[in-house]
Amino acid sequence: MRKTIAAFAALTLALGTTTACSDSEDSGKPAKITMLVLGDKPSNGRLEAMLKVLNPRLTEQANATLELHYIEWADWQTQYNVQLLSGDSSMDLITTATDWLFAWENAQKGAFLPLSDDILKKNAPKTWAQVDAKGDWDLTKLDDGQIYFIPEDNYTQWTNHGFMYRGDWAKAAGIPDATITKFEQFTQYFTWVKKNKPKAYPWDVAKQNEAALTGYLQGHSDWVTLQEVSTSSYYPFQVDNSGAAPKVTSWYYNSDQLLAAATEAKQWNDLGVWREDALNYDGNTREEMYAGLSGAEQHHTQTFVTQVVDTMTKKQPGSDPKMFYWGRENGNVYRDIKTHGAMAVSANSKHPDKALQVYDLIRNDKTDYDLLNFGIEGTDYVLTGGKLDRPKGWDISTDALDSNFWAGRMDEFEPDKVTDAPNKADIYKGLDSVAKVYPFSTLRVKKDQIDPTLTAVGGVLSQYIPQLQYGKAKDPAATIAEMRKKLKDAGFEDALKSIQADMDEWSKTHKAK
Amino acid sequence: MRKGAVLAMQLDARRARPATGIPAEKKHSRLRRIGHSKTLIIMCLPAILFFLVFAYAPLPGSWIAFTNFNYHDGIFGSPFVGLRNFEFLVKSGQLWKLTRNTLLYNLAFIVLGNIVQIALAVMLNEIRSKYFKKVSQALLFLPYFISVVLVGVIAFNLLNYDTGAINTLIEKTGGDPIKIYSEAGLWPIIIILFHLWQSTGYGSIVYFAAILSIDTSLFEAAAIDGASAWQRTRYVILPSLKPTFFILLLFSLGGIMKGNFGLFWNLVGNNATVYDTTDIIETSVYRMIISQNNFTTSTAVGLYQSLFGFALVMLCNWIVRRVNEDYALF
Repeated sequence: MRKTIAAFAALTLALGTTTACSDSEDSGKPAKITMLVLGDKPSNGRLEAMLKVLNPRLTEQANATLELHYIEWADWQTQYNVQLLSGDSSMDLITTATDWLFAWENAQKGAFLPLSDDILKKNAPKTWAQVDAKGDWDLTKLDDGQIYFIPEDNYTQWTNHGFMYRGDWAKAAGIPDATITKFEQFTQYFTWVKKNKPKAYPWDVAKQNEAALTGYLQGHSDWVTLQEVSTSSYYPFQVDNSGAAPKVTSWYYNSDQLLAAATEAKQWNDLGVWREDALNYDGNTREEMYAGLSGAEQHHTQTFVTQVVDTMTKKQPGSDPKMFYWGRENGNVYRDIKTHGAMAVSANSKHPDKALQVYDLIRNDKTDYDLLNFGIEGTDYVLTGGKLDRPKGWDISTDALDSNFWAGRMDEFEPDKVTDAPNKADIYKGLDSVAKVYPFSTLRVKKDQIDPTLTAVGGVLSQYIPQLQYGKAKDPAATIAEMRKKLKDAGFEDALKSIQADMDEWSKTHKAK
Repeated sequence: MRKGAVLAMQLDARRARPATGIPAEKKHSRLRRIGHSKTLIIMCLPAILFFLVFAYAPLPGSWIAFTNFNYHDGIFGSPFVGLRNFEFLVKSGQLWKLTRNTLLYNLAFIVLGNIVQIALAVMLNEIRSKYFKKVSQALLFLPYFISVVLVGVIAFNLLNYDTGAINTLIEKTGGDPIKIYSEAGLWPIIIILFHLWQSTGYGSIVYFAAILSIDTSLFEAAAIDGASAWQRTRYVILPSLKPTFFILLLFSLGGIMKGNFGLFWNLVGNNATVYDTTDIIETSVYRMIISQNNFTTSTAVGLYQSLFGFALVMLCNWIVRRVNEDYALF
């Protein structure tokens, strides 16, 4: 027995030394860098074909190769966090985000390697200089002053949400200019669809979707949603930034407008805007819209510009797709935060230096960037008049590359796409002129203290919001009152106070406007 | 599978006891007793290993429920926070409702489940045509292999208001469609029916096997005495199933606080309009911590359920032992 243990120990030691060796020698075997990405793993071989071209380049440039590890969409929240929890040392680069991928929580829990200026300057010099020039490193630091991830801060996208609808139907419904400019006008639009398009749902929507409430509230209040705190599937806290100091509040807990929103949702439900059983319906509603069976679809500008316009134009000629974004009526619109996509280095990575070197290349070397994002020219994409196009016979359902690099895209390397909306520039310009910069990106909420409360709050919201959002509550006023009482019991006011204290502390050194 | 395998071994062990000739009093040393039971122990080994690896080895990890866990310090190094991770269950004001729903559903599953399973096993036993017996067994068994995700889809296509089969039928026959997904009162029936549909075929196998193992001389004696089919069932079969019934009952009581998450989530999901009668601990906790990245709270809940189940099994076993020692688990 003792012999076996000794042999085992020797073996472990030997293996340990080998890894240590390969780590320190740059001329040795290329280090294998694994990057965690979100999305369904493609099985069409296109990704592997691209990596076969990319990896020899990376080997030459940094003596490293890249491999992707996918967290698939089924149950991704759990899968993602469990992957980080497991402390898997084979993971090197980790896609993260402060608003939807738990970047702060995971940084606080020690999943990410703190990155010093020196290690960044040495291994990712171009990235370091870019982010530094914009002064964006502060967006990635915890209270300890250390950098925990690299922001995707050179990439413009608009993930502000809204309703996409059909211009041709809006015109027939008598909407002036066939363009909806106020949330309430959808009642007119939906009523027309219900009456005149018997096969279509005015808005075919499935499962969780707060839009009927949040879309209304955003356009009828100047509060801004605090992206740093979520619970269950909700972002229950907003900030009233109209006074001298930012005040933490909540649409669901404090706003008088919630009743108006819920009443309208009930009106829509009674009208038959959505399926009676929308909460349990699981269909692909975007495909329904493409098939002419839904009058509206709810998602963000990016989806509208890059997918919906092109597909609707092809599948429903003359449908004149349009988008109404939340907050259009009162200008309560915010730009994407710069950490909507970010890249962290795993705390357990065996090659953090190499990981950063590879990241610097896939972010800044145009050839590497094109390979990773668009694939091989000729088979995955072609350029038509400087615009990104697809080769003949290419089908998104079977031929997509799906490398899902969302943590370091660069405006300067992104070509226009043939499939982009023709009025993309106008849409962006319009948003550009009204959108404000989200001011609280550097606020660090001390969640440890309010975690049990937040969990309880999530429990209450998940019980009431689905009823309110689909107008299922018979008496919205009573239901709201009941929900607010339960929220109070769950400790909502303690949570408000605690976040307000963090906000006050933050306000001492930062400007909210 | 697991339950079945363990049960089979329990039954074997029970039957094997007199056969090995070990008297009740401790004449032999422990070692010799093990020697005598070698074959049985070897047969048990996979199950023993399974429980060691998946049930006992992770036990110390439950400590995470009392910590503010971080990756650096690990399970045992993270700061101790006492019962804080249990707080949210009380704070959300749902503990009572969730515990009640979970208990009632499981009681219904256990009681109705066993009754239907026994009835089915008896009926299968009465079928004389071998071919018909096999086919019906296979058909009854089949739902067990259908994923609950599909069960959810099937249910939606049967029950939904706009296009569901049931409402279409009602409408075509001149009635008013029912908003089933908004009727909280209907859901206990729906969920129990789906549960029974899924599990009865599988569960009845165990009882069927128990019937087959009844000493044939008992049936012969009954036949000579001129017993009718009903009398045979009442006086021979049902009494012989009693030990099996008690063992299955005690096993299922251990999990009485645990819900069939897959079934509930896929049938009900986010439909909060019927939560009053459908929300169980699992579904509620899942919703609460889905975006909380909090392994400690989920462990806390698991621990609460397991301790409750443990206490219940001990209590019921104690009661059963007082009534009839032979039927007790230990």
